[in-house]
Amino acid sequence: MKKIRIGHKSTQRQQRWFVGLMVILFFPCFFYLKLDLNQFKDGLHQIPHIANMMMQMSFDQFPDLMDGLLTSLIIAFLTVVISVVISFFLAFVIATNTAPVPLLAKIIRAIIVIIRTIPVTIWVLLAVASIGFGSMAGVLGLIFPTVAFLTRVFSDQIDEAGKDIIEAVKAVGGGWWNLVFNGVTPQLMTAFLASIAFNFEITVAETVILGIVGAGGIGVLLQEYISFYDFKPLTLGILIVFITLFLLEMTTNLIRLRLSGRGHK
Amino acid sequence: MKPMLQINSLKKQYGSSTVALNGIDLEVHPNEFIAVIGPSGAGKSTLLRCINRLIDPTEGSISFQGQEIVGAGKKQLRQIRSQIGMIFQHYNLVDRLSVLENVLHGRLGQMSAFNGVFSRYSEADKLAAIALLEKLGLEEQIYKRADELSGGQKQRVGICRALAQKPSLILADEPIASLDPNSSRIVMDSLHANCIEQGIACLVNLHQVDVAKRYATRIVGIKSGKVVFDGKPEELTDRMTQHIYEGKEHQMFQQGVPVEQAV
Repeated sequence: MKKIRIGHKSTQRQQRWFVGLMVILFFPCFFYLKLDLNQFKDGLHQIPHIANMMMQMSFDQFPDLMDGLLTSLIIAFLTVVISVVISFFLAFVIATNTAPVPLLAKIIRAIIVIIRTIPVTIWVLLAVASIGFGSMAGVLGLIFPTVAFLTRVFSDQIDEAGKDIIEAVKAVGGGWWNLVFNGVTPQLMTAFLASIAFNFEITVAETVILGIVGAGGIGVLLQEYISFYDFKPLTLGILIVFITLFLLEMTTNLIRLRLSGRGHK
Repeated sequence: MKPMLQINSLKKQYGSSTVALNGIDLEVHPNEFIAVIGPSGAGKSTLLRCINRLIDPTEGSISFQGQEIVGAGKKQLRQIRSQIGMIFQHYNLVDRLSVLENVLHGRLGQMSAFNGVFSRYSEADKLAAIALLEKLGLEEQIYKRADELSGGQKQRVGICRALAQKPSLILADEPIASLDPNSSRIVMDSLHANCIEQGIACLVNLHQVDVAKRYATRIVGIKSGKVVFDGKPEELTDRMTQHIYEGKEHQMFQQGVPVEQAV
């Protein structure tokens, strides 16, 4: 007896093509990289050793690590504050509802796309290369992608939710400054604050990682420990980073929940 | 009497094919309370928004108190807009500001950008705004946040904002379309009473014919971007109403109440 077909033909064909293509591509890719299973096997017995070393956490470097963490947090904070100020104005310049000069808006939007396609790490490396290692390079390198991100988010929020308010302010004869400060900003303040909190969280995580390429903060210490196979303080460092990011995420989630919950007064 | 607002062969086209307004001629005299009726999509909203140039018309001219609105410069346009109040279907209040601040927004058009941005309203404006709110029965709500109010209360705040402009013309775009019958009555009563009392001409977009007949001194019927009726409420026959709403008859009732019973 012939079985009854239940699937959607073209969808199934699409999926089969997709899986088939992945399988076909996998083997040449695997051999191209010359992935060596023996290297993996040899390395396996090192794992208990390293794990053992990492278990012996030492608190000798605790003050240094805390100092590095504080630096990281400050870099992130400064980056976000400066970026918020810049992107707040840029957002109103590029949002379709409020753009005073449409051509300028287009140009800025194109620049933002370019900035966003270049990874954050590259920006920080560029900053490090041009002004040298340290916190200044971190702030400078992070500002570009952060401004691009925030401008994009703010302008989307303005386009999405600002329309009614903009009509109202225009109708009473208000000008551009009134649109921005009397209408849209108070209306979208909670949305803006939630985005800023979220962005701060991302930026802290980025700062920690980017310390490894020389942008200052706790990442620089982690990088040193790794290159000297100094696993004892490394464990503590990773733990500190983990706890910080975890707490930060909890707090920003709480803040965003509060803000979106429309808590009165 | 000279009209305060004169619209001549006003056209608005979206893209290359959609014609929202197809040659509108309309005169508005002081003290008139005009209801603009018509099915949704007829162009009522576009007409109102063309008058204060929230939408730029494609062709035609609009003259308001002797000043040409179409083609007015930025500064002149702001000055004209500040003399025309507008009331919206969705109230368009700033949710996170107090009721009083929302009403004071009506003053923004007549203030410097600096004073506006820093909310430096004059004490006289504040007193006038509070008096308006009291008059419309919102004295308990003055310092509440706008999003704490009911729909009917929000719309009365919208009316206060428009009145705070001390306008000579008010445009109301479907002011009661989102409200229940009771709130609708309160809102229409407040709007009507204040316009009559202060000699403000008013153009109200409505899709409920019964409401239009109850308040208007004149009714303008719009169908497919054209004025098909312009006359006194008594002159609006059932046949004419049916012609205006041809194919969309269900829209001429409010909350399912037929015209005859509601009037």
